[in-house]
Formats: sequence, structure tokens, C-alpha cells
Amino acid sequence: MRRLEGIAIALVLSVLVGLPVATLGYQYVVRPAQSEHRVIDIIAYAPEAGGFQPTVIRLTAGETVTLRFHAADVVHGVAIGPGLGIDLGHIDPGEVREITYTFDQPGLFTYYCTTWCSKDHWRMRGVIEVVDPASPDSLPLPERDPIIDALAAEGIDIDTYPDGGPTHGGAHPARVRVSTGLTPHVARGETALTGLTVPDILASLEWRRAHTPLEALELLAQENADADRARLADAVAGLWLSHTPGQPAAGTVASYNANCAACHGQTGAGDGPAAGQTAEEPAAFRPDSMLPMRSDVLYAKIQRGGMGTDMPNFGTLFTPEETWALVDYLWWLTFTDDP
Amino acid sequence: MTVARYDLLRRALWLGRVLRSRLLQPALMLVTLVVFTLAIVTGLFGTPAGSRNFGIVFVWIVWWALLIVVLVPLFGRVWCMMCPIPAPGEWLQRRAIVRRNPGRPRTLRKRWPRRLKNMWLQNIGFLGVALFSGVILTRPSVSAVVLLAFPLIALGLSLLYENRVFCRYVCPVGGFIGLYAMMAPLELRTRDCSTCRLHRTKDCVAGNAQGYGCPWMVYPGNLDRNTYCGMCMECFKTCPKDNITLNLRPFGADLFVSKSHRLDEAYKAFIMLGCALLYSAVFLGPWGWLKSWASLESLPNWLLYAAGLLAIVLALIPGLFRLCAALSDRLAGHRAGSRFVTYAYTLVPLGLAAWIAFSLGFVFVNGSYALSVISDPFGWGWNLFGTAHMPWTPFAPQLLSFLQVGVLTGGLLFAASMTVRFAGDGMVDARRALVAGLPVIAFQLVMTLAFLWLYLG
Ligand code: SF4
Ligand code: SF4
Repeated sequence: MRRLEGIAIALVLSVLVGLPVATLGYQYVVRPAQSEHRVIDIIAYAPEAGGFQPTVIRLTAGETVTLRFHAADVVHGVAIGPGLGIDLGHIDPGEVREITYTFDQPGLFTYYCTTWCSKDHWRMRGVIEVVDPASPDSLPLPERDPIIDALAAEGIDIDTYPDGGPTHGGAHPARVRVSTGLTPHVARGETALTGLTVPDILASLEWRRAHTPLEALELLAQENADADRARLADAVAGLWLSHTPGQPAAGTVASYNANCAACHGQTGAGDGPAAGQTAEEPAAFRPDSMLPMRSDVLYAKIQRGGMGTDMPNFGTLFTPEETWALVDYLWWLTFTDDP
Repeated sequence: MTVARYDLLRRALWLGRVLRSRLLQPALMLVTLVVFTLAIVTGLFGTPAGSRNFGIVFVWIVWWALLIVVLVPLFGRVWCMMCPIPAPGEWLQRRAIVRRNPGRPRTLRKRWPRRLKNMWLQNIGFLGVALFSGVILTRPSVSAVVLLAFPLIALGLSLLYENRVFCRYVCPVGGFIGLYAMMAPLELRTRDCSTCRLHRTKDCVAGNAQGYGCPWMVYPGNLDRNTYCGMCMECFKTCPKDNITLNLRPFGADLFVSKSHRLDEAYKAFIMLGCALLYSAVFLGPWGWLKSWASLESLPNWLLYAAGLLAIVLALIPGLFRLCAALSDRLAGHRAGSRFVTYAYTLVPLGLAAWIAFSLGFVFVNGSYALSVISDPFGWGWNLFGTAHMPWTPFAPQLLSFLQVGVLTGGLLFAASMTVRFAGDGMVDARRALVAGLPVIAFQLVMTLAFLWLYLG
């Protein structure tokens, strides 16, 4: 009986003390020690409950890490950008998705939620600071964007271009909407262009990005005085997307649906499920509001966000190329609205 | 009234040996202690997502369903034989785990207040847990703190009082296990009570070299209901006359021991029935707002929910039932005091059926989480047995409705037949007994329909 009692005491102690020590020790000591590189656990809560924890991760360039994302409360999604092409997809509550990656260059990267997880979903971001091993104390500076700088030099305030935006309820003067009655369609662009005299400047992508379709329409009208305005508008639509391969790329559409559609609507009508909750009405990508709009301003609004409008900045998530692709997609939505 | 009984130990001699072994209880407790400790550690340190946390899944889905669907209805208080909650306190008090320590128990030997020698504390405790169930059942860390509090309270009480005072008078789980254990077809009883009466030393109470005196403060010689016997099997070891046994008997036989009917137990029946109804509405009903009220998202809303729950469980249901019982009394021509408390025992089969149906509902729907958490108890991305990524799959949804209807109907029929029996007490005319029972039966019917609507509607 004495021996049995001794065994029982040992067993009970091993459960009460050994079990917690063994499990926690395995997770926090053995597992990291077994791993060849650092393992960082990031818990994802909805933004109202704290968002990503931690929100800042510092790495050294050339370091390989495993980032383990845990969804704590609702379904989240995780991608890391800009320009890394890392998308871990959806993570159900309690699930873990991980990626092992080597950050070669110093720079700032953002991990962000890609699923509409809550009202403040777009706030759900964290930063990866990859520092230069030679100067580990100096933080990599965000790069300046030449497009945004050029707009500033031109004296264009992207927050008031073309003319601010309406607050909900419409008390504010409406966004510039030229009621042209025009509904240009990209599919009719090529036919419309045949036989028209097109000023050379319109062939320049650079020019088109810094001007509005309305300006292009006026130039076309000057050269083709007797052409019907609807045909000219179709021609402009064709020109505006002439540098794209016709159909938008699947990745761009997916990115729009994941990041923009909640407010701007899947078809760009400004009627996404969260449209009613923003500080200002989300823009609709429709001819009346887009004909007086410039591509570079759209680019800047996406990259930098809209001051006071609840439009988040995507510059920390998307590369310039990805952003231009999104701008083109907005034009595509605008110029395919008319069935 | 005598009912048919079958003495299990007459044939199965091996069972007697097992029950008399001092190893039985500690061995079972050790197993549950592993699960319990893991539930607390995972709750405190694991993922906050309940469905992926061992603590939530194993306590509130696996253990709960096992307890209410299998253990209590079939084996009565058998859970209390293996429950890990009082174990540390009991072992410290005895300064022994397996052996019989002949020394005096280590405790201050305070006297438990007479006024608390009933189920009221357990009723209050259960309601306390019920009020916060929206968070306790879903948030692993809160759940872990509650789970940790139980053995600590039990330990604290064991320092002050001898025996299982916590189990007998405090444990919120123990209260309803005791109530519903009356339904079980298994009972621990003496073979012959005259043997007990003539046995001067009463070893089952006083203890002897083979075992401790009844830790549940029960005199086995008087046992006529399962309610307060914790099936610790000490009396098997201490009884020198081999007078203790396990019987098979008809379901619910204890409910008819009317001399033992008490208001605290009646209220336990109301509380359990009312909570089954409210839990079903909160967790399975179509009202999202009710769920968010219950989960303490905003204090004012939760206060409303709490007030509503208490009003329904403590006033509305007992009040309506009292009315029905008074009508039944009148129809039966019964004048010698209200039989409200007696009729309340008809809610035992009804309530148990409701809890079984409710628990089947979530175990069928969410049981598959058990497979994934067993491989990844903390939700840390482990995969111990290769089942971590098992997808959530509801089990046999069509079968579920049949089972729920069957169980609820069974509970109603049992309750109704009990009602007729109580109503007809001292009456010869069976038809008059049926008519007299109708108001109470109507109450039971309405409750059953409400459950059916919640589960199937
Ligand atoms: S009464 Fe409670 S603590 Fe005691 S054995 Fe039963 S369930 Fe466990
Ligand atoms: S009556 Fe026997 S089995 Fe029941 S609690 Fe007491 S000693 Fe244990």
C-alpha cells in the first residue's frame, strides 16, 4: 500500500505540475529551439478587439522567419505586401496559417486582413520593419511616390479633386458630376475610333494618366467637329483602356473585390455593404463622376487614402504596378456600365 | 411502494471486487484530473477561439454531453465517483490518495451551518454560472478561471469542514446531478435494512480500517434515493456485513419517495427546466440579439438578460406551475395543503429530457471539433494525432431531430404518468385522477412544445 501511495502521489504531481510544464515548455522552449529560424506568433483579433497582436515586427534583412497567424475571434484573411505576393487566404477562428519567408532587402512591409471581418476591417494591419544589418538602429524610410509628388508640385489637392465628396444625406455640395448623358462603352471604342482623326497626344499613356476623359473628349471634338458626341465618348473609352489587354486580370479583380468592393460595390456603383458606414459616400465608378477624373489622382487616392473620408491608404499594401492595375480596373468598371 | 430490483452484485462477483478496491476511485480521478488540468491550461494559454480550444470543447461539449446524456440518466451520480474537483481537497484532508489513513483528517472541523444543509447554495451557484454562461461557455480564459475556482473552493472548504461539504452543499453541478440521478436505473442501496439497524458500530458512517466513513454524510442504511450518495464506494469497503450493493431498478423510482420531497429540490427542478429553455433559446434559437445580450457585450443589455432569466426561472415558471398545481389539487379534491412541491418532481423527467435533447443538439452539431482539438489542444498549430485539420462536420442532422422528438416525448409521457399517480394519491377512480392531473400535464405539454419548437422550428 505504501508503494502504491507513493506512485499515486507521483502521478498526481506529474499531472498537476508536469502537464502544464511539459505543454508550455514544448511550445515556448522546445519548438522554437528546434526551429532553424525565428517563429513569430501573430494573433488576429477584429480591429475593435485589438487587431493584429503584435502590430510591429522587426527583422533583419536576410533573416528567415516563420510568421504564424492565428485567427482568434472571427474569420480573417492575411496577405503581406507590397510586392511580395504573399496571400495566406482565409483563416477560420482558431486556425493557424503560417509562412516561412526570407526578407532579403531592408524595407517596410504590411500584413493586413483580406476578409471583411468587421466594420473597421481596413484598420487591421501590422508592420514588418526589415532593417539593414549594417545599421540595425535606423529604420527603413518609406519611399516617396513620384506620382504623388508630381501632383503636389502641380498644386493639385487630391482630397478636393475634383471637388471633395458628399457627406451622407447629401447636405454637402455634390461631387462634380457632369451630366453629359454620355455612357461610353469600351466595347464600342474600336469601331468608334475608325475614321476619326485622333490627336497624337492621346496615344500617350503618360498624357492620359494626367488628364481627364472629358479633356480628351474636347480634343477629339475639335478635330472631328461633325462626329456625334456619344461616338466620341466611346472612342475615348477605347483609348483610355488601349494599353490594357482587354479583360482585367483575375488578380486585380480579386484584389478589388477584397479591398474596395465593401464600400465601392462589386460593380463600382458605390453601393457596397459598408457604404452606409463611411464618413463620406464612397465614390461610384460611373461616367458622370469619372469623366472629370484623372488616373493619377485615382492612383494617389488609392496609395495615400482619402483624408477624412474613411478611404484607407493602400500604399503600404500595393506596389505602384498593382495600384495602376486597380486604376485601370476602375476605368473598366466605368466604361462597361452601359450594357 | 415496492419496485422490482435486480441485485447486480449477486451475479457479477468481479464487480464487487472492483468496487471494494481502494484503487478504483483514485485511478478514475487521475484520468479525469489529466483532462481537467489540460482544460485549465489550454483555457488560460491556448487560442481564444472556443471551438479550437480543448478547454471549451472537452468541458462544455464532450464532458457535458457525456454527463447529461449518458452518465446521469443511466448511472446516476457515477460522475461524482471520478470527479477531479474535490480530489485535491479530499486527498489533503486525508493525507492519502489510495490508502486508508487511520489518522484524524486534517481540517478545522467547523460545523456546516444547519440553514445551509440543503440545495439552495447549489441553486444559487448554478444560476450564477447560468447568468454568465454566454461567456463561460465560449471564452476559454473565463472558462478556465471558473474551472480553477471550483477545486480551489472545494479545497478551501475541506480545510474548514470535514468530508465532502463542497459536493454535498455547494457544487453547482452536484445539485442537478443529484436531482436527475433520481431518474437513473442504477442505485446503491443496502440489501437488507434490518441488518443495518442491528449493526451497532455502523462502520459505513464511522469508518474502519478498510475505508472512510461516508464522506457524503449519508447513512447508507437509510438510503432511499440517489440524490446525495456520491457513489464513492467507501461503504462497499467498510461494510463488514456485505450489505451494500448496486441494484438495477426502473427509471425514476426515487421520484416517488414522497416523504423526501423538499422545496429546495423542487426549485432545483424549476431552475433546471427554465435554464434548459433559456439556453436553448440563446444558443440554438434564431435570436442573434439574445445571444449578444447573454454574452455580456454591453452591460445594460446583459442586466436585462439577467433580470429576465431570473424572473422567468424563479418566478414565472414556478408561479405558473403553482397555479396549475393548485388547479390539480382542486380537481382532485385535495385540501390538506398544496401538493405543489410534489408535483414539481414531475419536472425532473421533463427537465432531464430537455437537457438531453439540447445537449444532443450541440454535440451532434459541434462534436467534430473534439477531433481537431485532441490533436491541437491549444490551437497552436500542433498536430499530435494527425486530426488537427479535420473539418467541422455536423453529425447526422436528420437523426438528431428524431432523437430529440423521441426524448422529449418520452420525458413528457413519464412526467404525465407521474402526475396522474400523484393526483390520484388515495383515489380509486383512475379517470378522476387523470382529470385532476390535467392542469399540471397541460403545463408539461406547453413546455415540451416550446422545446420542440426551439429545436425543430
Ligand atoms: S458534487 Fe460536484 S464536485 Fe462533488 S463529485 Fe459531484 S460533481 Fe464533483
Ligand atoms: S453511501 Fe456509500 S457510496 Fe454513497 S457516498 Fe456514502 S460511502 Fe459513498
